[in-house]
Amino acid sequence: MSAVDRNFPLQDLVGPSLRGRLQSRLDLLTGVHTALADLHGTLLWGALPAGNSYRIPVELELEPVGHLIAACETPDRLKAAAGLLEMILQQRAQYLMAADLHLEAVQSDYESLLAKHAELEASEARLRVLSRQLEDRVREQVDLIEARQRQLYESERLAAVGQLAAGVAHEINNPIGFVRSNLVTAKRYVASLAELHDAISKSSSSGVRALSDRLDLGFIVEDFGVLLDDCVQGADRIARIVSDLKSFASIDGAEYERFDLGEKLVAVCGMVEAALPPGVSLTCRVDDGSLQVKGHVGHLNQALFNILRNAVQAVRDHGKVSVRAEREGDRVRIEIEDDGEGMTAEVRRRAFEPFFSTRDVGAGTGLGLTVARDAVRAHEGQIEIDSAPGRGCRVRIQLPVVTP
Amino acid sequence: MADFEEDAGKLTVKVVYYGPAQSGKTTNLLRLHDLPGPQLKGEIMTLETRNDRTLFFDLLPMGLRAPSGLLIKLRLFTVPGQVAHDGTRKAILSRADGVVFVADSHRNQTTNNAESFDNLMHNAARVGLDFARLPLVIQFNTRDLPQDVLVPEDAIRNDWRQAPWPLMFSSALQGAGVHATFASLLEVLYGALDAEFELGRRHQLDRQAFVSGLCGSGTTESGS
Ligand SMILES: Nc1nc2c(ncn2[C@@H]2O[C@H](COP(=O)(O)OP(=O)(O)OP(=O)(O)O)[C@@H](O)[C@H]2O)c(=O)[nH]1
Ligand SMILES: Nc1ncnc2c1ncn2[C@@H]1O[C@H](COP(=O)(O)OP(=O)(O)O)[C@@H](O)[C@H]1O
Ligand SMILES: [Mg+2]
Ligand SMILES: [Mg+2]
Repeated sequence: MSAVDRNFPLQDLVGPSLRGRLQSRLDLLTGVHTALADLHGTLLWGALPAGNSYRIPVELELEPVGHLIAACETPDRLKAAAGLLEMILQQRAQYLMAADLHLEAVQSDYESLLAKHAELEASEARLRVLSRQLEDRVREQVDLIEARQRQLYESERLAAVGQLAAGVAHEINNPIGFVRSNLVTAKRYVASLAELHDAISKSSSSGVRALSDRLDLGFIVEDFGVLLDDCVQGADRIARIVSDLKSFASIDGAEYERFDLGEKLVAVCGMVEAALPPGVSLTCRVDDGSLQVKGHVGHLNQALFNILRNAVQAVRDHGKVSVRAEREGDRVRIEIEDDGEGMTAEVRRRAFEPFFSTRDVGAGTGLGLTVARDAVRAHEGQIEIDSAPGRGCRVRIQLPVVTP
Repeated sequence: MADFEEDAGKLTVKVVYYGPAQSGKTTNLLRLHDLPGPQLKGEIMTLETRNDRTLFFDLLPMGLRAPSGLLIKLRLFTVPGQVAHDGTRKAILSRADGVVFVADSHRNQTTNNAESFDNLMHNAARVGLDFARLPLVIQFNTRDLPQDVLVPEDAIRNDWRQAPWPLMFSSALQGAGVHATFASLLEVLYGALDAEFELGRRHQLDRQAFVSGLCGSGTTESGS
C-alpha cells in the first residue's frame, strides 16, 4: 500500500514527544485540564474528568480520530482547542505522508536505477566477452593466415630448390659416373706408362734416355698416379654431395614417412661442411639407428639446415660448431651449438618472429627460425634457444620417436 | 482499488489528477475546494511548493453519505508534473480508482502532453492498473490563453476522436470547466463503483445522487 493510502492512527500523529507540549499549551488556552482519547477510548494525555464534561470530536479528513475531553462550563474554548489540534494533526499527517512517499519514491527510483545498472553491467559484460572472443578469433585467423603464408612460401621455395637439386643431381650423376670410371681406367693406364718408363731407363738408346730425363718422365708417371687418386677422391665427394642434396630436398617425400633422423642430420652436416671456411670446425655426433621419427623429411631437413646455417654464420671465419643427437626416453634430442657471437635478449625474444633478421638487407629473410619452429611444432616437437651475447648459441630440438 | 471497510461503513475512493508540469492540476483542486459542491468537504492539503510547483502531492478529501448510511469518501490527489518526480507519481497513482488527465492547451506543450500521457499509461501498468477499464477523463486546460498560442478545440477533438474517454475543456484559473470535468469523471466512476459495490441496490445511491452529492447540482459551467 502506498504511503498516501495509509491511515494514520492518532498515536502516530501525536507522537510521545509532542504530547506533553501540546497538553500544557491546550490546558493553558482552555483554562481547564484536557484529556485526549483515541477512538478506542485510550488516553493519550490527561485523565477523564469525574462528573459532567464535554467530548469534542477531533477530525481528520472528514472522520473523527479521537476526542478532546474536559470538564468546563461552556464548550467554546474546548471546540477552538480541538480545531487547533485538527490543524496540527493535518500538518502531521501531511508531513508523514510526504516523508513516506519520499522514501517510497527514492526507493523505487533507486530500484529502477539498480535494475538499469544491473542491465548495463550485464550488457557490458556480454560486450566484453564478445570483444574478447572477437579479438581471439581475429588473432587466431591472423596466425593461421601467417602460418599458411609461410608454409606456402617455404614449400614453394622448397619445391623449387628440390626440383633444382634433383635436376642438378641427375645431370651431375651421369658425368661424374663416367668421369670416375674413366679416372679408374686412366689409373690402370698409368701402370703401363710406369712400365714403359722402366723400359726406357734401361734402354741402350742414349737419345731416348736423354729425352726421358729432359721430360722428367719418372716424376710425371709417379705424380700422375697421385693426381688421379686425388681426382677419384674428388669425384667421390661430388657424388656424395649430390646424393646428400637429393636426400635433403626429398621432393618425392611429400607424405609423412618413417625415417632415421640421425642419417638425415649427417647428410645435412655433410652439405654444410662442403662450404665451410677453413677456420671453422664442424663435429657431428649422432646415435646410430635409434632415432626413428615419423614426419616430413624435407621439412625437418630444412629446419635442421636453417639452424645449422645460422650457427655457421654466427662463428664467421673462426670457431666450432657441434651437432649432437641422442635418444632420451621417447624423444630425440638434437642440440646444435656454436661458440659464435650469440644473441642479445631482444634478438632472442624476437628470433622466431617471421621476417625478423639482423642481417643485411638481402642476406637473410628472417624466416629461417620461423620455418624451423613451424616444422618442429608440426611434428609435435619443441624448440628452444639458449644464447647470450659473446657466449654462443645453443638450439635444442625435441621430437617424439616412433618405437618399432 | 477502492477501499471498502464494511464494519466502519466506509468506502474510500481515490481520484488522481495527472498531467504535465504546470498544466493546472493543483489549480483544479483549489477550485473544487473553493466552490460549493460536495456534501462533506475536508480541508485541502497542499504541500509546500517552490514557484507553485507541487513537490509531493495535493490532497482534497470530500465525501457523501448514501441513504444506507455508507460513507463514501473521495480523496482527490494531484501528482507533481515535473518529469523528475516519477517515483512520487507512481506511488500516488497506485490504487487509483479514477484519473483526470489535465493537459495544457498551449501549442508548445503538445509534446509534453503526449509524454505525460505515455507516462500515465506506463505507470498505470507498473502499479497494476487495468488502463483499458480505468475511469478516465481528458481535460484540456488553459483555454483562456490567447487564441494564437492555443491549439484549437477542433484540432484537439480531431486528435482524440478515436479515444474512448470524455474530452473536456477548461480554464481552471477562472474556474470554468473544473466542475464539469469532475462531474464527468464521477459519472464514469459511478459505473465502476456500482459494478463492484452495488451502490444502487445495496446503498440506494443512484448515479445522479452520487454526482450531485459530490459535485453539487446546478453547476453553471459548460464542458464538452
Ligand atoms: N492562464 C491560465 N493559467 C492557469 C490555468 N490553470 C493554472 N494556471 C496557472 O498555471 C500555473 C501552474 O498551475 P498549477 O495548478 O500549479 O499547475 P500544476 O499542474 O499543479 O503543476 P505541477 O504541480 O508543477 O505539476 C499557475 O501559475 C496557475 O495559476 C488556466 O486555466 N489558465
Ligand atoms: N646461432 C645464432 N647465433 C647468433 N644469432 C643468431 C643465431 N641464429 C639466429 N640468430 C639471430 O636470429 C635472427 C633470425 O634468424 P633467422 O630466423 O634464421 O633469420 P635470418 O638468418 O634470415 O636472419 C638472425 O638474424 C640472427 O640475428
Ligand atoms: Mg637464418
Ligand atoms: Mg501542482
